[in-house]
Amino acid sequence: MKYKKGINQRHIIVKCAADKFLPFALVFGIYIILFGTVSPGGGFQGGVIVASAALLLYLGYGYKTASKALNTEVLRVNESLGTTFYVLLGLAGIFAGAVFCRNIWYNIGPVGNLISAGTITFMGYAVGYKVLCGVAFLLLLMLGLLAPGGEEDEA
Amino acid sequence: MKANKIITLCSLAVLLFASVYGLVYAWKNLPTTYDGTKTDVQELYNNRENASEDKIAEADGAAAVIVNKNLKEAYAANDVASIVFDFRGYDTLGESFILLTAIAGSFVIVSRLKDHRKEEDSHEV
Repeated sequence: MKYKKGINQRHIIVKCAADKFLPFALVFGIYIILFGTVSPGGGFQGGVIVASAALLLYLGYGYKTASKALNTEVLRVNESLGTTFYVLLGLAGIFAGAVFCRNIWYNIGPVGNLISAGTITFMGYAVGYKVLCGVAFLLLLMLGLLAPGGEEDEA
Repeated sequence: MKANKIITLCSLAVLLFASVYGLVYAWKNLPTTYDGTKTDVQELYNNRENASEDKIAEADGAAAVIVNKNLKEAYAANDVASIVFDFRGYDTLGESFILLTAIAGSFVIVSRLKDHRKEEDSHEV
């Protein structure tokens, strides 16, 4: 075959490292998304960290397993869903009688709490969800080109 | 060819002279901008309601004004989050749409590439 120069043989150490680091990547990325409004970090950064879990899955188990575990169609739809949620939360400012992206429903907890800053917290979550799905979809899309012989047959 | 080289060297020399002159001028004459050395940001943040106007003037910049006025203007507990999602909400929206557009475009290109490869492989076999 012409395109059979991808990463075919996976070393046991790479597999074990992917096993060990994947839960940490997921937990750390989701932590950064959740605490984006009260700590350094935010939606974009945490989303990219979570999407690196898809890359770890590819490195450890190959494209076939990664594309089976993560449904790319679902990821593609959910990315648009996150963007829609962001726009709706921005429009909530208009419905509350102010301008677009205005922060409403604020001051519902002590300063520094997880949910204390109003709708901008949830806007951050929407951006994180969108970036998570989008970057994971982009990674799987581009790694599909490296898979030998398309998506059908891989060792 | 020789005239070209001479012109290039002359323009490079002029550029070098201008940059060195600008560096010396900036080193000697330009006033220092706000670097936060005279401002106790934490104290300002803790008493942002009671901070006096001369403290804002002493801070010499946007930082103290933002810290002081943020709660009244944006109603957000966190300043940076309020800037990213409230004051510059359109910017974040545009970034989101940039990512969406880039992914849609690469999806189209890569799916066409995959179809092309499948055709090639079937021809080979």
